[in-house]
Amino acid sequence: MATEPSAPTETVNVLIDGKEHKFPKGTNLLEACQSVGAKIPFFCWHPGLSSPAVCRQCLVDIKGAPKPVPSCYTTVADKMEVTTNSPKVLDVRRQMLEFTLLNHPIDCPVCDKAGECSLQRHYFDWDGMRARNEGDKVHKGKVIDIGKHIVLDQERCILCTRCIRVCNEVAKSPDLTMAFRGSHEVLTTAPGQRLDNPYSLNTVDVCPVGALTSKDFRFSRRAWELYSTPSVCPGCATGCNVEIHTSRDKIRRLVPRENLAVNKFWMCDEGRFEYKAVHENRVLLAAANGRRVTFETALLEAANLLRTDLSSTPDSVGVVFSAQATNEDNHALLRLAVDGLKIQRVYAGGLPLGGSDTILVSADKNPNTTGLERMVPPPVRTLKDLASDLATGHLTTVIVLGHETMAVPATTPVALIVLATHKGPLVDAARVVLPIAAWAEVDGSFTNKDGRVQRLHAAIPCTGEVVPGWRALALLAGQFGGELGYTSAGDVFAEATQRHAFMKGATWGPPSPPVQLRFGESRG
Amino acid sequence: MSADAPLQLESRRRIVFGESDISDFDDDKDLPTESMPLMMGPSHPAMHGTVRIALEVEGEKIKTADIQIGYLHRCFEKEAEYATWTQIFPYTDRLNYVSPMLNNVGYAIAVEKLLDIEDKIPERAQYIRVIVGEISRITDHLTCLAAGAMELGAFTVFFYLIKAREWLWELLEEVSGARLTHSYVRIGGVVADLPAGWPPKLLDILAKTRTALSDADKLLTRNKIFRDRMDGVGIIAKADVAGWGLTGPVARSTGVAYDVRKDHPYLVYDRLDFEVPVGSTGDNFDRYACRLAEIFQSMRILEQALAKIPEGPFIVDDQRVALPKKRDTYNTIESMIAHFKLIMDGLHVPPGEIYSFTEGGNGELGFYIVSNGEGRPWKCRVRPPCFANLAVLTKVLPGLFIADVVPTFGMINMIGGECDR
Amino acid sequence: MAKIVLDRLNERFTAGEILETGSQHGNEWARVAPAAWRQVAEFLRDDPALQLNMFVDLTCVDRMPREPRFDVVLHLYSIDNKYRVRLLAGVSEKQAVIDTLVPVWPGANWFEREAFDMYGVRFEGHPDLRRILMYPEFQGYPLRKDYPKEKRQPLLRRLPGSV
Repeated sequence: MATEPSAPTETVNVLIDGKEHKFPKGTNLLEACQSVGAKIPFFCWHPGLSSPAVCRQCLVDIKGAPKPVPSCYTTVADKMEVTTNSPKVLDVRRQMLEFTLLNHPIDCPVCDKAGECSLQRHYFDWDGMRARNEGDKVHKGKVIDIGKHIVLDQERCILCTRCIRVCNEVAKSPDLTMAFRGSHEVLTTAPGQRLDNPYSLNTVDVCPVGALTSKDFRFSRRAWELYSTPSVCPGCATGCNVEIHTSRDKIRRLVPRENLAVNKFWMCDEGRFEYKAVHENRVLLAAANGRRVTFETALLEAANLLRTDLSSTPDSVGVVFSAQATNEDNHALLRLAVDGLKIQRVYAGGLPLGGSDTILVSADKNPNTTGLERMVPPPVRTLKDLASDLATGHLTTVIVLGHETMAVPATTPVALIVLATHKGPLVDAARVVLPIAAWAEVDGSFTNKDGRVQRLHAAIPCTGEVVPGWRALALLAGQFGGELGYTSAGDVFAEATQRHAFMKGATWGPPSPPVQLRFGESRG
Repeated sequence: MSADAPLQLESRRRIVFGESDISDFDDDKDLPTESMPLMMGPSHPAMHGTVRIALEVEGEKIKTADIQIGYLHRCFEKEAEYATWTQIFPYTDRLNYVSPMLNNVGYAIAVEKLLDIEDKIPERAQYIRVIVGEISRITDHLTCLAAGAMELGAFTVFFYLIKAREWLWELLEEVSGARLTHSYVRIGGVVADLPAGWPPKLLDILAKTRTALSDADKLLTRNKIFRDRMDGVGIIAKADVAGWGLTGPVARSTGVAYDVRKDHPYLVYDRLDFEVPVGSTGDNFDRYACRLAEIFQSMRILEQALAKIPEGPFIVDDQRVALPKKRDTYNTIESMIAHFKLIMDGLHVPPGEIYSFTEGGNGELGFYIVSNGEGRPWKCRVRPPCFANLAVLTKVLPGLFIADVVPTFGMINMIGGECDR
Repeated sequence: MAKIVLDRLNERFTAGEILETGSQHGNEWARVAPAAWRQVAEFLRDDPALQLNMFVDLTCVDRMPREPRFDVVLHLYSIDNKYRVRLLAGVSEKQAVIDTLVPVWPGANWFEREAFDMYGVRFEGHPDLRRILMYPEFQGYPLRKDYPKEKRQPLLRRLPGSV
């Protein structure tokens, strides 16, 4: 899409709206026009899918062609002359839109997509004609339960076939098809089949209208009430880029964010539900010796435990890193426990392996395994070693970051200092519990399976006594008289990039606070 | 000095001046000579609109006057950056809140210029805007005259004129639904047509207002007390008009015949016949007389407009600017989408900026609007006429007596909502 | 509408002082280099062909993220010739200073105080540059785009002993 010619690629000269431009040979004309600011509306084209040219919305005039040409299906050719904004082209656009709107139900007040609907946006930007049809619209199926997560409304469908191509090309599971013809054409599955491939919710994202809606999200919030924050999915080591959509400080849904190097435009269904855990079963208050105490008291208790054991039996003190924690949390723990307290017994691990596929899902269900492996110096023991050491009495005090689901008997004599986000058996068995923030509440970074360091942004504020993990560790370090000197997550990141080779070159980037969806470019 | 001994005159002097003998008293040496700071306002019956004038006085004479505004600052400009173009209308109502229609109209005209639909506004809508605008102008001037007279002690005049103002606001309530915060104007026209049977009511009220004004005039214009307090007081020089940016009755009282309706006609003012009263000395009385004469001119405009107003639509027919009719909204997808996007996103104003000006109650009311193509403004600045008019008092007040501040400030007609926004 | 204003400006000043001119929706505007702000203003007021002697409005626009960030905007009017013009001067955030126009038009005093109050742009040579709409202890410049609308200000405490 570059307008600057690069030496090895052949470039062609194209005249768009009277201005001369150069594009690499093989560029799609629609993308070429968009890149130079000649806006063209479209429904069925998608940068990550094949171009079918069914919606006819992107028609432009090319000199020498007998009829307007769909620009999404055309490649740039040398000396092509393209007009995208003549009165004739604008009129053609209106006519095509009129056809699309002819049988469209008047569902905006109850349709989920309202506010992020391409049909609304293109009508308002390019059209303005009043309706000319009188009489009934064609009726089709309305609330059809088409899959595990999806509801279909056949009347709203504008027959763009994006969902069919998502299933065919991305999910590699051809579940959807068009049936019948003309005004009665509908989207459907084969008889008895369901839309339940593991990437089905991507069809909801690409659907330009509200024909396919997510059962999880429908009727929960309106699009303009949502604030969007960029982040990274914590579900597996792929690290798909996501947008966290929040409203009133609660996450309402996750949608994929474009990153051509990692996840292109897609994410798996399972990852989309990662947001639910942020609000369920959280540890919000500090505790010590089974009783609720203030955060300061908990820190004091933890420091006392550590001090006693480090002075008498330093070999029985352990520290456990987590592949679920951010690079910043792990780095702060490294500085406190390994550099500062000189703890020798270092354990690290994460959730066990799970299923994977060839598309996006990794077997490693931890977002930061690579970061953990490259950050913590050997010798590193596994969680199996930890379990056996806890049982056989080799440990007296352990600082644990995360690992809340680890099965530890509540009567264990080991003093566990747990920095926990969620409740679990480990938290029940813990001597000191410090509540820390989940992935959606912090600025931080994960390292995905390819070694890519990706930035998280905080979408919701911390509640209760929750603080980010690195800050809890910095406060704990303060109890020992050592200052880690962090005032923000950016400070931790900066220090980590200096120390760890794999993070060299990674940038913190500008802040990205939640942005209201309402006044930005409509999604869809 | 025992508490129960009757105080003699001399001993009273002793208490005040601390001298043992009245003949030892020396005016030049013993009277306090520092100037005294005196805060007039912000909670003061004559500082309407909430303003503090921090005076430095020597005896009764003012040495310096520092006018401190901002007590009624409600962040109009900041709120406008977060609201859609149509949502700003209620904010404009609350600018010059005694002539809200004029603010509505001024803002609507500014946005229409940016949209390039100035010539598409239906004629009936333009006449309606002129009519309600002039009624608002009359209420603005009535308020100024009434409050000004009351502060000089003429309570009866206040009641006569406020009663007239109330009749006019009742009329506007019939048109818009609210006595004062009308939000009646929309981009492209007005929100609804004039109610049936309303024009004869307006003419009737105008006749009654004429009676009230003539009563007030009889009580004030040749009243010695009123004239003594207003004549020659608070003189603004004609040469100051350009340097201080004075407009409206304040500028016209000095002799500068600048009225936006005549010099840069907008809406249908070029088809209506009216005069612009101009004063000569620029004192308080001239400002009073200008406003009084302007009310009669506004009534002339109203009578002509009511006679000339044509039938027709009251708002432009474009679905992307004005809300479609409900019947279309509920029955066609196109109008439903248009309605939806107009409310949720705001109408799309192409990127650009404009300074649009109309004649407000106090002078040139300017709207400097910057759009970046979204449904809400990038910046919406109000150029308040009374901000500049009030600033000139820092030059005019020094040298006057404290009692002169009251009529001078009153005749500037500073409306807090407009000055502080 | 008043093209003569732009023509005279381009005649009298160099391209380094009048950076750009234009006409949009019936408004003539000229972008001025901040160093030439005062001379251009005085010229417009005194030139016998223009006589843009009436000061109408002075304000500021925050064009974030464009550099220079602030535009100081001046509107002038000629009562006799009925010309209008808008002058814009770009000042950056780091060096948010421009010459005052109070010696040219005394009415600019309050308008410049307001631009300072709301945007933090200082006017060099202004006799009394203090806040006008906000109270003196206010922190920050509210109309800047990075000042959130809902931002709270610290509560002020009364001095001990006062009522």
